[in-house]
Amino acid sequence: MKHFFYPLAVILGMGLLSAQALAQNRTVSGTVTSLDNNETLPGVNVLLQGTSTGTVTDIDGNYRISVNSEDAVLLFSFIGYEAQEQPVGNRSEVNVALQPSIEQLSEVVVTSFGIEQEKEALGYAVQELQAEELSQAKQPNLINALQGRVAGVQITSAGGAPGMSSRIIIRGITSLDPNANNQPLFVVDGVPIDNSTIESEGSPRGASNRVADLNPNDIESLNVLKGAAATALYGVRAANGAVIITTKTGKAGQMKVNINSSVGFEAINSYPNFQERYGQGFSGDYNDTDFWPSWGAPVPAVQVIEPDHQYYDNTRNTMRTGKQIDNTVSISGGNESATFYASFANLQQDGVMPFSDWGRTSAKLSGKVSMGDRLDVTGSINYINSGGNRVPHDRMMERLMYWANTQDVDDYINPDGTQHTYGNTNPIYDARFATYEDNVNRSIGNLNLNYRPTDWFSIQYRIGTDFYSDQRTEILPGPIGIEGETPLSSTGFIEERRINSRDINSTLNLTFNHTFDEKLDASLRLGNDIFDRSRNELNSRGDEFVIPQFYNLGNTTQIATGQDLNERRLVGVYGDLLLNYDNFLYLNITGRNDWSSTLPAENRSFFYPSVNLGFVFTEVMEASNILSYGKFRASYAEVGKDANPYSTAITYTSPDIFPLNGQVGFTRNSVFGTPDLKPERTASVELGADLRFWNNRLSLDVTWYKSNSRDQIIPVPVSNATGFSRLITNAGEIENQGIELILGATPLQTADFSWDVSLNFSRNRNRVVEIREGIETIVIGDQFGYASSTVTMRLIEGDAYGNLYGRSYERYYPNGAPEDLNVLDADRPLLISSSGSDAGFPIINSDQLVLGNAQPDWVGGIRNTFDYKGWNLSFLIDARMGIDQFDQYNNFYSAFGKLDYSLNRNDVVTFDGVLEDGSPNTQEVWLGQGIGPEGRDYSAGFYRNYYRGSSENFVKDASYIKLRNISLGYTLPRNWLDATPFSMASLTATANNIILWTPWNGFDPESFSAGAGGNATAFTGLGYPGVRSLFFTLNLTL
Amino acid sequence: MKYFTNTLKTLLLVGLGIGASSCEDYLDINVDPNNPTVAPLSGLMANASFETGNNVQDLGGITSFYVQYLASPNPASSTDIQDEVAYDDTWFNMYNIMTDLSDLELQAEEAGATDYLGVAKIIKALNLGMTIDMWGDIPYNDAFFAQTLNPTYDDDEALYGEVQQLLDEGIAQLQLGTSTFTVGDDDFIFGGDIAQWLKTAHALKARYLLHLSETAQYDPQAVLAQVDQGLSSPEDDAQVDYYEEENNPWSIVAQNNADLLLGGWISEQLIEAMDGTTYGYVDPRQPLMYGTTNTGSFVGTTNGAGRGDAPEQGARSTLVEDSYYAQETAPILIFTFFEQKFIEAEAALDAGDRNRAYQAYLFGIGAHMLKIGVAETDIEAYLNSPAVAVGAANLTEALIYKEKYIAMFLHPETWVDARRYDYQYENMTLPANHNPSLNGQFIRRLVYPDSETTRNGSNVPDVSLADPLWWDQ
Repeated sequence: MKHFFYPLAVILGMGLLSAQALAQNRTVSGTVTSLDNNETLPGVNVLLQGTSTGTVTDIDGNYRISVNSEDAVLLFSFIGYEAQEQPVGNRSEVNVALQPSIEQLSEVVVTSFGIEQEKEALGYAVQELQAEELSQAKQPNLINALQGRVAGVQITSAGGAPGMSSRIIIRGITSLDPNANNQPLFVVDGVPIDNSTIESEGSPRGASNRVADLNPNDIESLNVLKGAAATALYGVRAANGAVIITTKTGKAGQMKVNINSSVGFEAINSYPNFQERYGQGFSGDYNDTDFWPSWGAPVPAVQVIEPDHQYYDNTRNTMRTGKQIDNTVSISGGNESATFYASFANLQQDGVMPFSDWGRTSAKLSGKVSMGDRLDVTGSINYINSGGNRVPHDRMMERLMYWANTQDVDDYINPDGTQHTYGNTNPIYDARFATYEDNVNRSIGNLNLNYRPTDWFSIQYRIGTDFYSDQRTEILPGPIGIEGETPLSSTGFIEERRINSRDINSTLNLTFNHTFDEKLDASLRLGNDIFDRSRNELNSRGDEFVIPQFYNLGNTTQIATGQDLNERRLVGVYGDLLLNYDNFLYLNITGRNDWSSTLPAENRSFFYPSVNLGFVFTEVMEASNILSYGKFRASYAEVGKDANPYSTAITYTSPDIFPLNGQVGFTRNSVFGTPDLKPERTASVELGADLRFWNNRLSLDVTWYKSNSRDQIIPVPVSNATGFSRLITNAGEIENQGIELILGATPLQTADFSWDVSLNFSRNRNRVVEIREGIETIVIGDQFGYASSTVTMRLIEGDAYGNLYGRSYERYYPNGAPEDLNVLDADRPLLISSSGSDAGFPIINSDQLVLGNAQPDWVGGIRNTFDYKGWNLSFLIDARMGIDQFDQYNNFYSAFGKLDYSLNRNDVVTFDGVLEDGSPNTQEVWLGQGIGPEGRDYSAGFYRNYYRGSSENFVKDASYIKLRNISLGYTLPRNWLDATPFSMASLTATANNIILWTPWNGFDPESFSAGAGGNATAFTGLGYPGVRSLFFTLNLTL
Repeated sequence: MKYFTNTLKTLLLVGLGIGASSCEDYLDINVDPNNPTVAPLSGLMANASFETGNNVQDLGGITSFYVQYLASPNPASSTDIQDEVAYDDTWFNMYNIMTDLSDLELQAEEAGATDYLGVAKIIKALNLGMTIDMWGDIPYNDAFFAQTLNPTYDDDEALYGEVQQLLDEGIAQLQLGTSTFTVGDDDFIFGGDIAQWLKTAHALKARYLLHLSETAQYDPQAVLAQVDQGLSSPEDDAQVDYYEEENNPWSIVAQNNADLLLGGWISEQLIEAMDGTTYGYVDPRQPLMYGTTNTGSFVGTTNGAGRGDAPEQGARSTLVEDSYYAQETAPILIFTFFEQKFIEAEAALDAGDRNRAYQAYLFGIGAHMLKIGVAETDIEAYLNSPAVAVGAANLTEALIYKEKYIAMFLHPETWVDARRYDYQYENMTLPANHNPSLNGQFIRRLVYPDSETTRNGSNVPDVSLADPLWWDQ
């Protein structure tokens, strides 16, 4: 044993700590064995009851402990065994044989439809997180709490704004459709809920994904169902996996009041390296009304004439310390026939960008009433109000870009309320007055009836609802009406957006159990599932305010209104047969048939099966001291997927410009829905093993999977001459293949101290197998870059999802670049222009080449937890490696000379490269603007004429390793609380994101501009920068 | 697996006693509530007629660089230096409107709405003609109804016949006078005035017949015959008006430029053609067509060179909102009386009728000046200036082209003229940083858009920017 634990401890970077037993009056010793095989048990906890004194058995199962009286009772406990109490009496040797627990290893996990299943019986991978770990993450948005903790899951936060969306992808992207939702289904207490992200229509505002409405403090556990086998019963809607959330419930017999309060602070965790030398102007000339923020004269030179002239660190000066206050009060309890849980919570958060805030108030009540042994009724209702002011972060950062280095951005408003500016729009003034507020009122409820007329049959019915209204108001003020003002807009507008969404889910389950003989148990479940969604949206926009600063639609001269209605229904029936042979062989067969409203009537019915096998091989082999448990898993599953509503017709639409002059025009929609659309299919195979060693001190879970999604329902781009630009049809295939690894270890465990490590690693390989004959590419999205350096994310047959295309510096090929050159070979020498106005500079290749790919090579995380008496320390390090992103920030910064690398602007250099004839370049060039030292005209200079126009300068490795979370908690000893009404009190300090290692130069690379609803994750945009945060939490239980 | 699947499915369905039929009604909700499956005649007409104005502007936004009305403020800007640029959006817009017009044709025919049918054919002919003049061969016979997802390309010469035929058919329909529905304000060009549509159809026939000037098919008499049935006065100008809610697209270019999203900068070529540099006298239209620098002078930007050290604002002439062309509610001119006069002048000169040509030439200049609001005394002075009033005997093709060039400011038709005239405008030179693959030749056509090469690649003709269109010989 020692041989194993010592190296492990070293590997994990921690010195081995040893526990020390405190010397007491009398020493008792003994040996602990296992009752079933008489072998000695190492690592058993031995605790002197009623005290915090304890020890742990050594490798040979021996222990030694001091006791202070003859009344002493020793408590022996060990994972997988029943605990045992032994009064010491006057004995000096106490030997015990522990009984293996009947419940051994029968961890229960919640799978589809809230079905609780023994983890042992599962033929597929699931991974569960407990309340403690979720709350430790201190993330208001539940999805962010999963970051780095779950294998096979990739979380991408859109940015650091309060309430901002976060995206979750399980086992890779499964759709070729650029607008497809590739995110899993979220299920709360058996009922699917909405996790849409509805972005703002104009300038990005960072809307929330709707799961952010959930209060993480209400959650008991969260289980991630990864593959198609795990989600087979959910069918269509869980084709991308499922996140199963179980909320807290009351326990019979004890009334508990819990108060959880935390206060947090946050700040931007990483900034680009700004240059502080050059100020406003162009060509090195000082000009304090110029548009150009930092191509001017050196600050010290201007200070000679104007002593007040100085550099302002405007980006940092704009940002503030974010604050967050989060309080949850919950009451739970009950008796044997009824239990309840009620909570009330409020979160208020101010972001690092001025005027950005978000809050969430939630009230939840759930309860369970049992009428005798046969009938249970449970129900839950959760009301949430959320929303805030979403600053135009993208526009703000863009304006900050244009704002002069030598003008104080904080001086943004005149006493009369008009904008203070030297010419350019002040970003803070814009952020303050160009508001966008959302106000979401939501209720999520469910009602369950569970009736067990006999021992072998039960019937369960559940109805769940998720209703919300999302009211949004966007205001851009017009002029105030003061002479000489610089308004944000010459007209101004107000836009009111109303979104109403309603989901209803109805589920009926009939469950039959039968034991055929001693060894074979069977359980059959038949069910029906109905999903009904209705969403409607109304927008009204009024332009040009008549009365300044009076923001009402009725106060505008032009009003335009639009409407969008959306309905979707799905009916499914399913069967689920589970056979358990002698508790070591488990076979599970499922089948589901769906009828979807979104497919043509003749194709709307589709069936898909799954089969999975779990084999606990340690049950049939000789018991081993080392391998305590081992299981192989294998599964095959298919899942169907329907279309988006209204994808099967040719329709007409009235363009936005109408009504115009009393007319309403129509045009044929450029998307053509084929009337013979059929469901798409994903088939997946999964193999895995769950291995546990040394009585679970070490566990290893390995999974390999491969899934192929075929007959995809995608809008295939077609020639516009057909009268359409996209044809929604079944085409294409995408493959995801990967491995996941979860390692758990308890390198050290004594009565007082324990050290747990969990590590997860996942690697997904994604490949576009096929698009459609004649279709070379599908564009996922693009993002603007100056001087045609726009970068496009495309799908190409044979490549992984998300190749990034853009311009690059031309490279030298002795025999000319190959015709079919597709990928930039950055190792080749640069081709330097030999003549003309470009002589001596690199040549920009205007052909689009692959510059990178937006899929990470691997992601992973490692979490260490230490418990010592009342102290708890944990830290989580996570990593995302081998991923490329387009850094739009850097593209803009280079165009405006804002970063430190542009300090070489007045240097004379010789670019390392070769001329067309292959000879080395020797031409010296000046990097500055205007007339160079040798009299040559360099016009706008190197950075504006060349550097910013080569996308390759901005498509960069966005890998990172982060100290994602570190948390130190202390639970007060009980006896301290004797005089108080509290039964438990703890204090926790948590820091998130405080160490970032990345090759990326700039803000935290972990943010992207599309928002969680989009798939173009490789574009940073001018996004809301990422933050680090610090929290203090007080948790009290009455 | 298949057998297993089927067995499982049967068991399941029988087991639950649920058949597919029980939920059919519940699921029959996939009729799009946001978008109708049929559009009214007037709706299609409204959009197609309005968007035709936008299409003219859209094409003008490309060709204005080639004919050097405009120049980019950025050096070596792709369009400005005649680089290969795939104009996907423009291609889409042209096909989008031709598609809607094809639907309109079908529906109008079915409804016996001969006026709608006639107008639809004329507008379609115009859009088709403009599209051919940009790209040459394009899909037409396979187009508009997704008959195939890979439409083949039709020969541009054959399609020129199609343009004339559409116009003839349009005229024939309008002459029937039996329409079951009357075109009204849904027609953003003429508000349903059929007489004006008839004139426009003939005028367009004249325009596309004149395009044949470098071919053996050219018949100046045929052009003049159509001109005779064309517009009778500037009142008949085919144009689309813009509104407070929907601003003229050139005004948006001007507004954006004022907001530092740079565009609409005037080329040095045009400035010099009007400020006396090239022709020795100052054109009174300058202040009505574009803005001045901060110091009140007209300064152009050299094509392809960018603005150099000039700041974003105030040092160059650009489109400005108070000029004729870039006001919020300014019309987009589709076919004007003055264009017809210049067509007449060229055709008459080619036909040997110098007097008619000279009269038409003077009328063309005067009509344009009136159109944009030049004071009558200035018009008179200009028309009487010796370089303009050369007399019938001294009228040259060069003079007609020069005056038409100024009058047709921003109009895509000028690129057709420039190619027919082999860019022989006085002092017109290649842009700086000119696309080297053109080997010092002016651009002759557009390359096909990426949407075609990536989605319909096997049908896309292999052409280069230097290849002339069939009429450009």
